[in-house]
Amino acid sequence: MPPFQMLRRRFLCTQTSTFSLNQTSSNRRRPQWPIKQVTKSNFSDSLNEINTHISNSDFIALSLHNTGSYSSPWHRILPFDTSEIAYLKAKYAANKFQILQFAVCPFSLRVSNKLEAHPFNFHLFQRDELKIGSPCYSFSCQPSYLASMAREDFDFNRCIYDGISYLSRAQEAAAKHQIGNPVSSGYVAQSSLSRSVADNVFVERVKTRVGHWISACKRSDMKADDALVNSLRKLILGGDEYGSRPSLNIDVCSERQVQLVFEMVKSRYENVVPLTIPAKGGGTQSVRVVLTSSKEDRDLLEKDLKNMEEEQSKSIRGFREVIELISASQKPVIVHNCLNDFTFIHSRFISPLPPTKDEFRSSLHSVFCDIRDINHLMKEVGPLNKYTNLPSAISYLKRNFFAPVEIDITHKAGMEECKNHGHNVVRISELFARLCFILKLTPEAQHDNLDGPLTKPYSNAFNLGSNGFQETDSINIWTHNPKKISINNLVFLWGFRSGISAGKLKNMLCKSHDVLSEDDVFDVRLIDKNCAIVVFWKNGLSEWFLDAIGSGDGLRELAAEGLMVAGYDTYTRVCKSEILGTDLAASLSEFDRASRDHVDDSAEVYWNSELMINFDDL
Amino acid sequence: MISVMKQRLMVRAFTKTLTLIPLYRPSRTAFCTASSSFAIKNVTKSNFDSSLADLRRHVRDSDFVAIDLEMTGVTSSPWRESFEFDRFDVRYLKVKDSAEKFAVVQFGVCPFRWDPTKQSFIAHPHNFYIFPRQEVGADDSSYEFLCQTSSIDFLAKYQFDFNMCVKEGISYLSRAQEADVRLQLHSSHEYEPLDSQVTSKDIKDVPLVRMADILFVERMRNKISDWHDDLLQIRNGGSQRTPEDSNVSVNQFQTIFFKTRPAIKLDAFTSRQLRLIKSVVEKSFNDLAYIRVSDGSCFQQIIVYTDSRLDRDLLMKEVKESHLKEAEMKIEAAIGFRHVIDLLSSEQKLIVGHNCFLDIAHICRKFVGPLPSSLEEYVPLVQNTFPFIIDTKILLNANNILQLKMKKSSTSLAKAFAILCPHIASGVGSFGSALNSSVAVEVQVDDMRSSNWNSGAKHEAGYDAFMTGCIFAQSCNHLGIDFTSHSMLTKQDKLQHYINHLYLSWSSGDIVDLKTGQTRTESSALNSYKTQQPKILFPNIVIIWGFLSKLKAREIKESLTKVFGLTSVTSIFHLDKTAVFVQFSKPELVSDFLKLKSEMEKKKNDAIYVLHPFSDLLEGGLTGAACYEVYKEICESPVSKVLFADQAEAVCVNSEAKVLRSMAHKTDSFADSESAIDSKTAETSGEILGLVSC
Repeated sequence: MPPFQMLRRRFLCTQTSTFSLNQTSSNRRRPQWPIKQVTKSNFSDSLNEINTHISNSDFIALSLHNTGSYSSPWHRILPFDTSEIAYLKAKYAANKFQILQFAVCPFSLRVSNKLEAHPFNFHLFQRDELKIGSPCYSFSCQPSYLASMAREDFDFNRCIYDGISYLSRAQEAAAKHQIGNPVSSGYVAQSSLSRSVADNVFVERVKTRVGHWISACKRSDMKADDALVNSLRKLILGGDEYGSRPSLNIDVCSERQVQLVFEMVKSRYENVVPLTIPAKGGGTQSVRVVLTSSKEDRDLLEKDLKNMEEEQSKSIRGFREVIELISASQKPVIVHNCLNDFTFIHSRFISPLPPTKDEFRSSLHSVFCDIRDINHLMKEVGPLNKYTNLPSAISYLKRNFFAPVEIDITHKAGMEECKNHGHNVVRISELFARLCFILKLTPEAQHDNLDGPLTKPYSNAFNLGSNGFQETDSINIWTHNPKKISINNLVFLWGFRSGISAGKLKNMLCKSHDVLSEDDVFDVRLIDKNCAIVVFWKNGLSEWFLDAIGSGDGLRELAAEGLMVAGYDTYTRVCKSEILGTDLAASLSEFDRASRDHVDDSAEVYWNSELMINFDDL
Repeated sequence: MISVMKQRLMVRAFTKTLTLIPLYRPSRTAFCTASSSFAIKNVTKSNFDSSLADLRRHVRDSDFVAIDLEMTGVTSSPWRESFEFDRFDVRYLKVKDSAEKFAVVQFGVCPFRWDPTKQSFIAHPHNFYIFPRQEVGADDSSYEFLCQTSSIDFLAKYQFDFNMCVKEGISYLSRAQEADVRLQLHSSHEYEPLDSQVTSKDIKDVPLVRMADILFVERMRNKISDWHDDLLQIRNGGSQRTPEDSNVSVNQFQTIFFKTRPAIKLDAFTSRQLRLIKSVVEKSFNDLAYIRVSDGSCFQQIIVYTDSRLDRDLLMKEVKESHLKEAEMKIEAAIGFRHVIDLLSSEQKLIVGHNCFLDIAHICRKFVGPLPSSLEEYVPLVQNTFPFIIDTKILLNANNILQLKMKKSSTSLAKAFAILCPHIASGVGSFGSALNSSVAVEVQVDDMRSSNWNSGAKHEAGYDAFMTGCIFAQSCNHLGIDFTSHSMLTKQDKLQHYINHLYLSWSSGDIVDLKTGQTRTESSALNSYKTQQPKILFPNIVIIWGFLSKLKAREIKESLTKVFGLTSVTSIFHLDKTAVFVQFSKPELVSDFLKLKSEMEKKKNDAIYVLHPFSDLLEGGLTGAACYEVYKEICESPVSKVLFADQAEAVCVNSEAKVLRSMAHKTDSFADSESAIDSKTAETSGEILGLVSC
């Protein structure tokens, strides 16, 4: 490509971004905290920097920017979702969308309400850097999401051209086999190896071969032969060069033979280093023995190998290095929506998401031992479930509480202001600091007694289901007094005219049967324009209703109009299927038809009419 | 051109051009006139309307229009790439999946017009940035799209401007989406009068629970009534209040005139307050109307005084009509880039693409409507949109003269361009040293013209479309087509054999005739080496997945031949590391195998079965197997798991798993029904198809 072409495109791109920036910056007020922007080019420098900040800070706030969050309105976590279903929905989204930005902010709360923060914003793009098959084959994008990011002047070019790549722990393990670089470590000598005859024959054969090769190498060292003789010798002995040192490949058929070669070499030859050459599909292809000239030389080689391995795994891990640092620090991690964020983090940096919430919880706990959700803390303060976005939550606290917090960001961003992203992570830190102040979780208390009675209930209270369907009952403070109802009393209803209002639908049901015409028997809410949920306030009615429409006995008219119903178990099956489908009504009818096994699941959900989604919001 | 199925090929082509460019750049700069370095016409949101007007003129005058698309990906999972063992219907399903999941981000349109006075073509390359931004309607899910990481990386390699695409890209509505949105609009307006009738009932529903609400409503009632009385007094010529008085009472109200009627603008109220005001107005004042008018970008609430009930109804009708008109205009604007497709479609010009089956599928999906589930139904849809399509890749491979010109080299876009149009590719120009047989192409962008233009931006849709058009023009010249004659290109005898023939899959040489819907496999010299291979017989094929990864094709073949005999397995082909196609020598063996497998699964704890040759295959307990029709169903599913075994499990477990499994059980009857279902395709395609066995 001719250079002028490239120049032109670059020029155009900067032109548009600065142009739209001027537009937006005049339109909206935005705090301009200096946040260090990290891309591929300055990643390794920033890594050292963030490492020191992590070890010097008390807390670490995280915030992610993804390519989308839900494909269809009903894929959001809804008030009637059990925590298990909330997890399944979050898992679905995490598997689908991709992380574009990962903001990390190590911070400390100092006396006199000073928040000392060190925000970093990492631009990520997972690509196949090692040419071993893409770690992420494809990902989904929600145009509305991207468009709103564009309005905030998100630089997609920078993210894609210069984003930091990474592999999860599971992917790294798989990749190491595929790369096929020689590995020195990993073989611990097992003393109690009872050898068979075949083993002995094999060892003897290898011993003679290695012996011949070593003596040949030593001889050629002494007198300088001409090139022809050297290459002939190489051909006959099968020797090779490993760096500047001579080496020999020994083919092996099993892991046991690898063991035998290692044992033999280590016991007999002091200056020979054995390495395994991994096969492409896992396992070992052959053992390479490298001859060193002295003990010092051997140590040198071993050190080199170790460095090489480290360099390699560093490049494999990429951004995950930061995750590992956070994990190793064991510092409390502060997030705003922990279920969504940590399903993403788990699937991208640890391993694929497990099938159930409990497995997820324990797997996550082994990596991050202390997670605190701002949403959860907010519920301690008041009716904050409405203040789901960060700026409104902060302004709510500012209005209603006296909690002065001074933000002190010491480092310089060193970037032009317009590319300054990742403010949410500072907002999370700020919100956490204010909440600590309000809840009297003073920094001193944090320092002196992390496990003290005050902090205990908040740390690690893992709040799945950001809107209050957690099974830990301790924190259900609502102003609108939810009624506790069993999921067995919920019935999904569809097949009505698209766009009908909940009131009309309720009217229709009321008129259909005497049982339903009484007051306060049931309530109807729309989930989307094609599907509604009916809650029966009395036990047993839902079964009657399902049966009456299903068989067409009691509610013949409704059934004749095409109304369809399904119990909560069908909904659970849809969510477990991993194919959620964009239209809930269509998915429900498909799964309802598939089977009618009744699962006895009496998990409780809270019915809170205030929380019920409003059709206007959809 | 990203739609070339094999990305690896493209990358290779790129590295070649990379090494070539430095070689010929000096010569090019030497010959370049100043005008030849102007940029291609990039079209975004901001200059779309003006560009469309120009394009209309260019397309109308053109002899043919070359197109090219850049997408966010090609295959949603590795096993959705094109395989030897894909039947025509499966190939279509794979293309359909791709067109449904990925987004088009760049659209190149290049009209070519023969100028008899200059004896040269005039090309107008346009490079449209498009983005599926939702402008109207409520349902967001249909706009979601997939990105294939490697394709995004590929675009990045060629300096694709993602910011331009997301921020400035032109949005669009398909014909089907437009119809939906219009339906939504009209139905909501139909119900509106109904709603206004029941408003009196609804008012009760607005709960005045909070003390603040009750106070607010009282205050508003007084204020509005003051304003109302004032108005009447003025009208009746009564005494006017002093300005100060009116200021005090109506300070939040600004009296304006709306359609010659006095009105108040409601500013600085919350949405809840506005709702309360609305209920007050409707309950307490018969001659006031509460309406919502849009003021360019945002809505403005006003209360209007009307003389009579009739006047009020008239006003409401007017307002409703203007709302409708506005919504219509919004929809019209949201159609966006589809205007270009509608233009190409209505002008019925010859559309030229390079290996463009996927491109056409994208156009149909994005700008017409959902793709039908079978190739037979899809073909008329294409014909209705574009009656004349020519694929330069078909042209180059099928025509002997052109094959000779191509010297049997690769028919990738860049390569073909370099070989057939060296005078344009090198930027030397058609004068002087160039051969007599080369066609001159003059490029015009806005007011700039050049006869030796070359932006060189490969894999930019606009430039790729230009290259495709040049290849076509040059090919026509080699075929001896006279541009100066007044007959249309679409009527040219020499092209009839190629028009509307597209590669369903280039690698296998499967061609579909869009006119008849018939499919055939190319029998050119290129594919002749395949004829020695065993034929693919789809009823003989079983697909096995989920076995342990240590099993390779050889082991699987061994365990099968141990049971069914040495000659029972014709070939084995890996879809990916988790699945294989096995072709048996006889169709009965498919049902025999499935029967035996399900029997063994039932008695897997029996001692004899541990020694059975299948025990390796079934080890782990996750091995699944099915006939070819199930493979088709798996391809049809909207799910895309990376590994085939996961995909098969997801599809089978979730949808008609029971049905499929029972199909495997009732093997005898099922074998018959199978052959009945696909006898037509099997006869026409299976017999001719060549095969590379592993």
